[in-house]
Amino acid sequence: MKRFGFLVSLFVILGLLLSGCAAPTPAPTPVSEEPTPVPEEPTPVPEEPTPTEAPAEPVTLRVGSTTIWDAMNPATGWENYTLRYWFHDGLIEWAELTSFELGLAESWEVSDDGLVWTFKIREGVTFHDGTPADAEAVAWSLNFLMEGMIGPLELYVTGFEEVVALDPTTVQITLSEPTALMLTARLHYAWILPRSVWEGMTYDDIMEFEDPASVIGTGPYKLVEYVEDEYMIVEANEDYYRGKPVIDRIVIQEYATEDAVVQALLAGEVDVMWGVPNTAVQPLQEAENVEVVIMDSLNLADLVINSHVDGTQPESLNDPAVRLAMEYAIDKQEIIDVAYAGYGEIATSILPPAFGDWVNPDLVPVPFDLDEGNRILEEAGYLDSDGDGIREDADGNPLEYRLYAEDLATEARVLEIISDGLADIGISAPPTLWDGDALYDLLEPDWDFDMILWGWGWDPDPDFAVYCFTCDSIGDYLSDVGYCNEEYDALYAEQGMTMDEEARRELIWEAQAILFEDRPYINLHYQPGIQAWRSDRWTFTDFSGGDLLNKWSLVRDPQPVQ
Amino acid sequence: MQRSDYLIRRMFFALGTLVVVIVFNFFLFRILPGDPIKAIVRSPRLTREARERLRVDFGLDKPVFFDAERLTEGDVVGAFDTQFTAYVRALLHGNLGISFRSRRDVAEVLAERVWRTVVLVAGAETLALVFGMALGLASAWRRGTRLETTILLWALFSWGLPNFFLGIILLLLARGHLPVGGMVVPGLKPEAGLAYWADVGRHLILPTITMAIVYTSSYVLIMRSSVVEVLSEDYILTAKAKGLNTFQILRDHALKNAMLPMATMVALNLGYTVGGAIQVETVFSWPGIGRLMYDAVQLRDYPILQGTFLLLAVSVVVANLLADILYSVLDPRVKAE
Repeated sequence: MKRFGFLVSLFVILGLLLSGCAAPTPAPTPVSEEPTPVPEEPTPVPEEPTPTEAPAEPVTLRVGSTTIWDAMNPATGWENYTLRYWFHDGLIEWAELTSFELGLAESWEVSDDGLVWTFKIREGVTFHDGTPADAEAVAWSLNFLMEGMIGPLELYVTGFEEVVALDPTTVQITLSEPTALMLTARLHYAWILPRSVWEGMTYDDIMEFEDPASVIGTGPYKLVEYVEDEYMIVEANEDYYRGKPVIDRIVIQEYATEDAVVQALLAGEVDVMWGVPNTAVQPLQEAENVEVVIMDSLNLADLVINSHVDGTQPESLNDPAVRLAMEYAIDKQEIIDVAYAGYGEIATSILPPAFGDWVNPDLVPVPFDLDEGNRILEEAGYLDSDGDGIREDADGNPLEYRLYAEDLATEARVLEIISDGLADIGISAPPTLWDGDALYDLLEPDWDFDMILWGWGWDPDPDFAVYCFTCDSIGDYLSDVGYCNEEYDALYAEQGMTMDEEARRELIWEAQAILFEDRPYINLHYQPGIQAWRSDRWTFTDFSGGDLLNKWSLVRDPQPVQ
Repeated sequence: MQRSDYLIRRMFFALGTLVVVIVFNFFLFRILPGDPIKAIVRSPRLTREARERLRVDFGLDKPVFFDAERLTEGDVVGAFDTQFTAYVRALLHGNLGISFRSRRDVAEVLAERVWRTVVLVAGAETLALVFGMALGLASAWRRGTRLETTILLWALFSWGLPNFFLGIILLLLARGHLPVGGMVVPGLKPEAGLAYWADVGRHLILPTITMAIVYTSSYVLIMRSSVVEVLSEDYILTAKAKGLNTFQILRDHALKNAMLPMATMVALNLGYTVGGAIQVETVFSWPGIGRLMYDAVQLRDYPILQGTFLLLAVSVVVANLLADILYSVLDPRVKAE
């Protein structure tokens, strides 16, 4: 009796220990029997402890992220072009947020009719596998892309008619029509891929080609290892044409949640957190040895208003007066403060300020003003005739709209703020949250919604943003609003062929003005890119790329501490 | 004779369940709203042609179940050239398909992932069983004492604790001492021998403890109630009268009889835990089946979803079958029924 009682209490104590404290030194579990050394900083290569005379330890940057990418192969992988850009180069490089530099091309010339582009190719560049990346290779690769073999890159050779190597350092590209986009929206993602890898593959071969060889390029980093859902290791390309990168090795570790990455950064398990949620900014700023940076971005958060001709939105929603009144009723600053912890900037144009001169400076921001919203609706004849607090149109239909967003915590808060504002001007729009993919299904072919809270990350040239409101973009599954306006389309087509930048800017401004007037979107705010790093291990000073891991700054800027 | 009848009946039942699951599995994901092509290829960079080529490539250009139009034209074979028949045909060949997202073979991915979940679950189950039985037994034997109240309160509390919440708390407490997530320090390979396994072990500690705590409580409760029941039986009184000591009574009489519901519980739990690890695997970024499933749902990766759900279904059905068999072995009365 006595002995058993003792045993039981032992178990109880053990059990309570296990449950109560999360035990830095937990009770022995079957797997952790070996006394494992617990290094303060887990070093990725624990094999040989390097003695003093051994070559210096590789400079390693450890990155924590919730996602790496979907697939290695650029033909089947669509995610994370920041990473893909480490392996591949174009003739022109996307350098800073909206600026471009010469890449594999040393110089360029264009014929007077804008149809023939001649590029001088950098000499002595080789692919990671040692094969030369000369004019011959460049021409082969561009032709390969033109065949549509690498789906996601096909867009970047749009309008290319013929590409030939004139001599070992000269490539000539002939276009079907002149384009203003050659240097800013084409070549940067028309990556030069090695013939040694891709030649002779059929489309089916390519679709099944999930092999490290698929990321062989001329870029600053070579892939060492990629393990799905776990990590990726890359190492510096010593022969990179802009010189060997500062960082020898980069390890990206994937965590399932943002919270886990925050914890890993605080614990010093990673050096860089890629994508910090707004709510984590303050705790990270207060943490020791952690630096948070808030960078410009090309992001837009918007409220989509169904503008498709065959859409199921009520007639009153097509009235620009109603749309304008709604913009007056939305407290954008409140959205930024409440849902985004104060980070962000109130939006007016579809283009965020990072676009610089491309942003139309004449658009007058619509302030939060409920009285003005009410006045506009009153004047437009929307009155609350039955006294239920909701206005009706001339036919007696109440202004009741469906207001949707993806079921995320932040989106839910934003939707509440919008819904409350609209209620204050006599519009009923109860918020509804949807599964993200289900939202996409509301577009084609039925356009069965009234308003959706959504957003974009634009491409560096304004062409892409402007394109997303053309009639063509509907057929391309790109439009999320169904807006179609012939006058606007003509403007879009013209800007794409206007070689004079001044003149093209006028056209882009005009396009923004039309959108501001017709209001397919109510532009809400611009979200910055927020990242954080361990300041006790690294110094970052160049944030011009809007991303600590932006290739252009990454190869030069970050310096290890001490 | 009777037992084999019983077993055969059970096996047929299990097989039937699997067939239903296979069919159900296919339609379950296809009635979800959302188009996999759009979900996977969020890239605005994709041209219309490339998108259509992908649709063909994934077999999504075919009708889902059958093509009514071709059937009315009299093309019976063509009418059944559908996603469903392709799925069944591939499955009969043991081919689970290729992931829409990573383009890897589903069977290969599952094989790589499943042992990770099994290790996690097996460790947690073992811990939970040991502690659960001990505490359950103790609280039943010391019925009415403060010890029982303490154990019961704690068991009910931890039973009600969502395991992801518990996981986050443990993660915060252990930060800096144990890795935040993952399975192994990047770059470390099994070839490194002991160093590799030690590192995997370090990564396993937190998720294992989290799961174990939650499981323990359910075992405590079951163990306690069955032992309490057994202890009120006449044969326990007889045993006491025979002069057996406490330990002997518990071991030889109470425990053996109380094991029946425990065995069922364990078998059932084993079946469910392959899927039940989703939350814990997500909190601790453990790259097992649970996390695979979580990602696949978000990306509408049908082949991966079908593969994991089939695996889950098989493990639940097999566990049930095992429980049935075990039951008939442990308790001769069952097969007579």
